[in-house]
Amino acid sequence: MSSSRLVNLRTARQVKPMLSLDRAEARTRVINLYKAWYRQIPQIAIDYDLPKTQSECKKKLKEMFMKNKDVKDIRIIDALVIKGQMELKETVQVWKQKHGIMAFWAPTVEPKPKDFMGKFLDGHN
Amino acid sequence: MAACARRLAVSMTKYTSNHGIFRSMVPRAAGVGAFRTSSTTSQTDLHPTIRPVNAVERTTVSEYGQYVAECLPKYVQQVQVSAGNELEILIAPEGVIPVLTFLRDHINAQYTCITDLCGMDVPTREYRFEVIYNLLSVRYNTRIRVKTYTDELTPLDSACEVFQGANWYEREVWDMFGVYFSNHPDLRRILTDYGFEGHPFRKDFPLTGYVECRYDDEEKRVVMEPVELAQEFRKFDLSAPWEQFPQFRKALEKAEVDEETQPK
Repeated sequence: MSSSRLVNLRTARQVKPMLSLDRAEARTRVINLYKAWYRQIPQIAIDYDLPKTQSECKKKLKEMFMKNKDVKDIRIIDALVIKGQMELKETVQVWKQKHGIMAFWAPTVEPKPKDFMGKFLDGHN
Repeated sequence: MAACARRLAVSMTKYTSNHGIFRSMVPRAAGVGAFRTSSTTSQTDLHPTIRPVNAVERTTVSEYGQYVAECLPKYVQQVQVSAGNELEILIAPEGVIPVLTFLRDHINAQYTCITDLCGMDVPTREYRFEVIYNLLSVRYNTRIRVKTYTDELTPLDSACEVFQGANWYEREVWDMFGVYFSNHPDLRRILTDYGFEGHPFRKDFPLTGYVECRYDDEEKRVVMEPVELAQEFRKFDLSAPWEQFPQFRKALEKAEVDEETQPK
């Protein structure tokens, strides 16, 4: 099967939408989720007694959203929004614990060496 | 192999014909011995591990399946009866609500109890997840299995409006497989920990998971980190040192010997 035909098949396939019917709607949902998180930041910082300033939290929030900025598929965007909403609920209800929130920063995770010498000294290739 | 299969078939028919007497008359060991050494075609014994075929039940069940398929031609794609006479109805994903409502409310079905709802992952399929509903009819003392399919991004209709008991089962399927149920009243994780990443029953989920927790002395708290293994998992050779099916080996050897001796 040629690649163009594959693409045609893929685009022609009818799929059931998760939530949004078009890109604008998906975008609205993402922005709403972002705003909801943004508004909850002061309360979250108090609830979990975070050793972070609010501006650091906002920066991290933006970073987490920008991680998925290249996702184009509406259904994947919706799936991510659904998971983000669930996570927001877990956070706001304080079902999570402090380490769950602090995992966003991951201060103990050492970045993996990228260059040859670093990998060699680290013991894996 | 073929001979063995034929012998099996013979013994199966025997089992059904004199089912009542058989168990008491033939001791287990004698049955096995006769099976191994039999050179005669007239088999009087029967393997004690073979399930008796209940032909009456099988016809009833398959006829009922036919009936359901005729009642719901739009949604039922296939009806099958498993080896243990369990009726399975394979439906299109749009038909979850109508089919379950039919099975719950129809006078000849009355499957009012949802005993289980689970998922299955077959990554090679186009729609990789199967969602399976097991229903029980207390009125007729029968069970039925309804199967449908979906993939990671296609939502299924939640069965909660038909069966209240499906609530937690669907949460479980969501948590373990990541199948999204639309119109579910309270879809969130149920088995995994908060902050857990991924859906563990997916076939592509690694054995170790993605994150691990440990107490960090510098941070003075529990930290979550991506899993890093100090060494690879050991690979065990699980094949047993003794033979499991010696009778098949003997048959094979005999056939080979025959082939060798014939041309000479």
